[in-house]
Amino acid sequence: MRTRVSLLLALLCFVAPRFTAAQDVRIPVLVPLTGFLALEGTSQKNGAVLALEHPPEGVTPHWEVEDTQTAPELAVNALEKALEQPAVAVVASMLGSQILAMLPVGAEHKVPLITISGTAQVTEQGNAYVFRFFPSDAVVKVAQARYVVEELKKKRPAIIYQTTVYGQGGRTVLDAVFKKLNVVPVFEEGVDITVNDMLPVLTRALAAQPDVLVLQLHASSTALLIRQAAGMDPHLPIVAGSAIHQPSTAALLEPEELDGVCAESASSPISGGSPEVDKFVADYRAEFNTEPDAYALAQYDGTEMVLNAVKAGATAAEAVRDALAAQKYQGLAMTYYSDGHGNMAHSAIILCYDGKTRVPKVVQRYDNIDPQM
Amino acid sequence: MITLAQLALNALSLGAAYALVALGFVLILNATGAVNFAQGDLVMAGGYLTAWFVVLLPLPGLVLLPLAMVATALLGLAALALAYFPLMRRPPSTVFVSTIAIGLILQNGAVRLFGPEPRVTPPVLGGGEVHWAGLTLSRQSISLIVVAAVLILGQRWLLARTRLGRQMRATAEDRTMAAALGIPVRAMIALTFALAAALAGAGGMLLGNQFFVTPTEGSALILKAYVAVVIGGWGSLEGAVAGALLVAAFETIVAALVSYTAAIALLYGVLVAILLLRPEGLFGEAAGRRA
Repeated sequence: MRTRVSLLLALLCFVAPRFTAAQDVRIPVLVPLTGFLALEGTSQKNGAVLALEHPPEGVTPHWEVEDTQTAPELAVNALEKALEQPAVAVVASMLGSQILAMLPVGAEHKVPLITISGTAQVTEQGNAYVFRFFPSDAVVKVAQARYVVEELKKKRPAIIYQTTVYGQGGRTVLDAVFKKLNVVPVFEEGVDITVNDMLPVLTRALAAQPDVLVLQLHASSTALLIRQAAGMDPHLPIVAGSAIHQPSTAALLEPEELDGVCAESASSPISGGSPEVDKFVADYRAEFNTEPDAYALAQYDGTEMVLNAVKAGATAAEAVRDALAAQKYQGLAMTYYSDGHGNMAHSAIILCYDGKTRVPKVVQRYDNIDPQM
Repeated sequence: MITLAQLALNALSLGAAYALVALGFVLILNATGAVNFAQGDLVMAGGYLTAWFVVLLPLPGLVLLPLAMVATALLGLAALALAYFPLMRRPPSTVFVSTIAIGLILQNGAVRLFGPEPRVTPPVLGGGEVHWAGLTLSRQSISLIVVAAVLILGQRWLLARTRLGRQMRATAEDRTMAAALGIPVRAMIALTFALAAALAGAGGMLLGNQFFVTPTEGSALILKAYVAVVIGGWGSLEGAVAGALLVAAFETIVAALVSYTAAIALLYGVLVAILLLRPEGLFGEAAGRRA
C-alpha cells in the first residue's frame, strides 16, 4: 500500500509541473449555431476552434462550444453557466442583440468577451471587457463608399438595403459617408428579408437612373438581387456588402452572374495573399470540409491574440484584458489594436469577381480607417 | 408595359409556388381542424432534400421532383405520428404548438444535416432564359407555373373525382360520420398529411432553384400561406390558390409601383379589410376555424 502511495506521489510530482508549465486555460465558445445567423455563427465557431486546436507552443486551451441560438436570454444563460468555472476569455456571440446582453455579465465577472459582431453599439457601452475583431460598419462602409466615389468615379448611387438592424444600420453609415464625399444617393429603398423577387426594387432603382448599385443586404437577398440584376439592361456595376464575399453565397450564382460585382469585407481568405493565409485556408478546409470566410478568419485572429497573450504570461482574465487593451497584434487579416473602446479591427478591403471564377480578387485595401472621416 | 408584363409573369410564377404551400396548409387544416405550422418547414425540407438528391443522383429535375415529393410525404407522415395522432383528441391549440415544435426540429435538423449554407435546387427542365416579345422568361419560371398547375389540378381531380378523394373529403367534413360509414379515418388523415407534405416538397424544389433554400425560410413561408388562406377563405382550396396569387402580386406588381414596405403594408391592409367586411374570405369558409 505504502509503495503504491509513493508511486502515486512520484507520478504527481512528475506530471504537476508539466501541467502548469503548459499554461492550461479555459476559453468557452458561445455562438449562434442555429437560427437565422447559423451560417455566420458557424464560421465564428470554426475560426475559434481552429485557433484553439492549434495553440502557440506552451499553451493548452480547453473549451466547450455552446449554441446560443438567437435569443439574448439564451446567450446570457450560456455565459452565466460558462463562467461558473474560471475562464481567461470567452468567444462571444456575433449577434448584436446577444452580445449587448452578454456585456454586463462579462464585466461583472471581469472576463474579456471576444467577438466579431458588427453592431456599432457593442463598443459604445463603456464596457472595458469587450473586444471586437471584425470592423464595424463605421469602418467597412467608409471603404465601400470611398471605392464607389474615388475609384469607380460614380456619383449617382442607388442604395438597396435590408429592413433589418444590419441593413438599416449600414444604410445610415453609407448615407453619412456619401454625404461627406459630396454624393447624394439617387435612390434608397429597404427590402424585407423574406422578399423573393427583386425585380420590383430593381425596376424602381433603375427608374432613378443610378450609375451604380450599392447593396447592404444579407446573403440570400444579395445573391437574389445580383442574379436578377445580371439579366437587366443597363448592366450596372454593383458594390455589395460583405455577404457576397462568403464562398457559400457566391456558390449560389454562376461565375458570369458575378461579373463586375465588387464588395467590401474585412478579408477574403480564399483569395490568398500570404503563405500564412493559405495555410489557414488549407487547415480550415481539412478540418471543416468547407470554405472559410472573413468571419472565420477574424475570429481565428481574435482567439489567436488571446492565446498569444496567455503565452506571454497573461494567465488570468484580467491580465488577458489588459494585454488586449494595450497591445498590437499582427493577425492574418490585418493588424489589430484597441482604439480604447474595444474596436480592434480598423482595415477593410474591396474585392471583385471577374466573371470567370467564384474566387474574388482583392482590388483595394483601406488601412487605419477613420470612422469620423 | 413590358415591365408590367414581366412583373405579372414573375407574380404568376411566385404565386404558383406559394399556392402549393397554401394548398398543403388547407388540406391539413380541413382534415384535422388544426393549423400545421410546420408546413413552411416541410417546404424548406423539400428544398434541402432535392439539393441533396441531386448530389447523390445527378438526374434531371423532372425525375427528382417525384423523389422530393415522396421524401417529404414520408416526413409529413412522421410529423403526423409525432405531432398530431397522439394529440388528436386535445384542443386544436395543442396541435398547433406541437407543429411549431416539429417545425423547429426540421429547421435545426436541416442545419445539422446539411449545414447552414443556402442551397440551390436543380431546375425542373434546365436553366437559362427565353426572350420573347421583349420579355425575359426564365425556363424555371415557366416550369414552375406548369408543374404547379398540374399538381393543383391533379389534387383537385383526386379530391373531386375519385372514391379516395371523396373519402378524404368526408373525413375532413365530419370525422365521426365518416367513421360510422366505415371510412378508415386515420388512414384518410394520414393520406391527407402525406399529400400536403408532398405538395410542400414540390414547392420547396420549385422555389429553391430561383430563390434558394435556407434553413429558416419556413417561418416566412407559413406566414404567407396563412395570409393567403385567410384572404382566400379559411378552408377553401380555390381560395388558397387565389390568396397565394394575390400575395405574390403584392410582392411584385404592387411593390414595383410603391415600394416593398408600402406593398406589404397594403397587403395587410387588404387582409384587415377582408376580415372586417368578409370574414369568410373571398371564396367562403368551407370548414374549420382559425386557430
